[in-house]
Amino acid sequence: MVYLSHVLGSKILDSADNVVGVLDDLVISPKSGEYAPVKFLAVTLVKEKKEVFIPYDYVDDFSKEEVSLNTLFRKIELVKAVSPKSVFLDRDVLDQQIVDVSGIRVVRVNDLRMGKVKGKMCVFGIDISTRGILRRLGLEWMDVFGWFKVNFIDWTKAHAIRGELKLSMGSNELDRLHPADLANIIEDLNIQHSSNLVQSLDVKDAAKVLEEVEPKLQKILVKHLGPDKASEILSQMSIDEVVDLMKSLPREDARVFLSHLRGAKMKNVEKLLLYPDDTAGGLMTLDFMSVSPDVTVGEVIAEIKKQSSKFRFVLYVYVMDAEDKFKGVVSLRALIVSNPSKKISDLTDEGDFHKGSTLKVNDDIDEIMEVMTKYNLFTAAVLGEDGKLLGIVSIDDVMRHLVPNA
Amino acid sequence: MIAAIKDKWFKFKYKLIFFLGVLGPGIISANADNDAGGITTYSVVGAHFGTKMLWILLLLTFALAVTQEMGVRIGLVTRQGLGGIIRETFGVKLTALVMSLMLIANMGTVTAEFAGVAAAFGIIGVGKYIAVSVAAAFVFLILFKGSFKTTQKIFLIFSFFYIVYIINGFVIGPDFGQAFKDMVTPTIEWNAVFLLMVIALIGTTITPWGQFFIQSYVVDKGMDIQHYKAEKVEVYAGAFITNVVSFFIIISTAATLYKYGIRITDAGDAAAALEPLAGHLAQFLFAFGLFVASMLGAFILPTATAYAICEAFGWEDGFDTDWSRGKYFYSIILITIILPCLVVLIPGISLVNIMILSQDINGILLPFVLLFVLKIINDKSIMGEYTNGFWSNLVAWVTIIGIIVATVVLVISSFFVFS
Repeated sequence: MVYLSHVLGSKILDSADNVVGVLDDLVISPKSGEYAPVKFLAVTLVKEKKEVFIPYDYVDDFSKEEVSLNTLFRKIELVKAVSPKSVFLDRDVLDQQIVDVSGIRVVRVNDLRMGKVKGKMCVFGIDISTRGILRRLGLEWMDVFGWFKVNFIDWTKAHAIRGELKLSMGSNELDRLHPADLANIIEDLNIQHSSNLVQSLDVKDAAKVLEEVEPKLQKILVKHLGPDKASEILSQMSIDEVVDLMKSLPREDARVFLSHLRGAKMKNVEKLLLYPDDTAGGLMTLDFMSVSPDVTVGEVIAEIKKQSSKFRFVLYVYVMDAEDKFKGVVSLRALIVSNPSKKISDLTDEGDFHKGSTLKVNDDIDEIMEVMTKYNLFTAAVLGEDGKLLGIVSIDDVMRHLVPNA
Repeated sequence: MIAAIKDKWFKFKYKLIFFLGVLGPGIISANADNDAGGITTYSVVGAHFGTKMLWILLLLTFALAVTQEMGVRIGLVTRQGLGGIIRETFGVKLTALVMSLMLIANMGTVTAEFAGVAAAFGIIGVGKYIAVSVAAAFVFLILFKGSFKTTQKIFLIFSFFYIVYIINGFVIGPDFGQAFKDMVTPTIEWNAVFLLMVIALIGTTITPWGQFFIQSYVVDKGMDIQHYKAEKVEVYAGAFITNVVSFFIIISTAATLYKYGIRITDAGDAAAALEPLAGHLAQFLFAFGLFVASMLGAFILPTATAYAICEAFGWEDGFDTDWSRGKYFYSIILITIILPCLVVLIPGISLVNIMILSQDINGILLPFVLLFVLKIINDKSIMGEYTNGFWSNLVAWVTIIGIIVATVVLVISSFFVFS
């Protein structure tokens, strides 16, 4: 078992014990969820002073002081270039930040531990401990009291973000993390790494994560991603989040992003952009489910089942007549406990709806909180002057407004 | 027509709000340069050498502007602190080297800050043992229990006290003609006393910690490259303002002390320079200013040091981590406060000498930090299209070479003095 820091810079000897060159780096081609076997040695040749790659199959023994090969140097088929997807352990991994998926945090790679897995030399541990730093500095002897313990992360539980590396390396568990945790990780990375990380996620996950990222980083990230990639993600985000983001951008930038959004989404975003930030109009979202008063409970439940994936949450369905006039709300619970053949208009009449429990577009945050607290609402309907239903404000939107950095 | 005007107004308003919003890193960082070490160094420069060194100050204004701007640019492009980039670019060994140098320089500066506290209280007759212990306890209390940001702001506002030096400068009615002449006529004395002062002057104006500080400040504030132009203006303005203050401190002590051959041996002597403006209150005014400047540095430096080192070595940082996870972070803060305090408390040690020598240490170590900054900022793979232009490189190299030459000559000449 060896550490990368031990073998880097060691001499390469061929089978006749001639010094061939010096080891510069080790090359792997990583696969998610697996320990990565070493594919090539990157070697600077002694005579020609140039870098070549020696396939690992030629290695006989791989130890601390030197690497011995199993053939004569002239018999080795040298490789001039490796695939661009290859990962260089020293260049791309050592000293870089990686995401420790099980610890949900960003750490720095101090050393790599290598060993045989199924007969192949692999990287299997990432040393993130201070002892790793001492080892690299040649100062391990200083730790006479054994204060500094070695601390490893399993290679398959880590996620590298440098350069072009995407999910291909180490862990494929990244997308199983909660979006809010991923957002925190992103906030800890530098801009290049964080935008790589966002791009490595699929668009839907990226949208959820981006929603959770703190606003000031959010706007830097979308700009770094560029309008094309960003608008792909934006189109999966909930409308009110997009609106908040657009508001924080300079007008010209916002215009560019908006022009990349498609049809209905853009119209809705533009509509919401007109309301000031801290009013019901500014906070509301258009992601709500509306039904006509004439349909039955059974039909509504079927509709919810069909459309559920479109909505972040469905706590209430909002009842609107043919002219978009607001007629009341029906809670999910009322729907479940009611007779499926009952008409929706009967349920609203039964008092799920109080006149005072709606918001006007210009209500400020205090008024919103008062209404929502008084009537114990998770979401509240926002009505226009003419009594039309414009959108809803959720408790989540209010919290986010009050605690923007969480 | 009206719509067009409205649109213009919006744009202007946006720019104005934006400009005021980022009115921060350049001014703050430059202003924090006028700390205990700074105020003392400038006072001594004026008192012992008159206006002879003003030409160096003029050059330093450009050098400060350029180096700070480089820090801002790296921060804007990478959104990462200097410690982290050095680690990723140069590996662990060189990182350990730079970080140790920075740690030494910063400890020196913190020592100067507590010496400043001791000197300030010395003026009003409070002993240094009490003053330094209470100040250190206060710093701990605020860092661990209070609001760092609010406290930082309060001291920052107080530190605008330096404006009194500018007014004072006009009240004295010094020989501005001579001052401006000295500003453009390089004079140099090839002896250890002069060179030691030159290096202190450089080291107090451009500091290793200032490079780390301004870069992480930009990252923390969530600025991005779009702010670059406004930020550049702000950094240049900051460098200009801080050196205008330095200019007036130097001409104030030159006109009041140098003229009569009074040398500064304790802070009370330096305070005498404010007498033309403040009369009997000069001592109090100076003590207050020195105290505030010292405390600002005493707050910022240990924290900035801990953040930079933890970032480079991948240790968990920030005041929201608990003690066991953030043990390195907290230990660095504790050590960078306690050790300097102990140095200041050595009986009979000269506070003025501490404040000047610590700036010399900063000056001597500065070239190493700048070399790393230069290497990074000229690296296309890190900076993309934002690498250095010809002029920035030139100014930076002249600064580096200037300090190295001065240091080498200093070392050689001090051999002659003692042999």
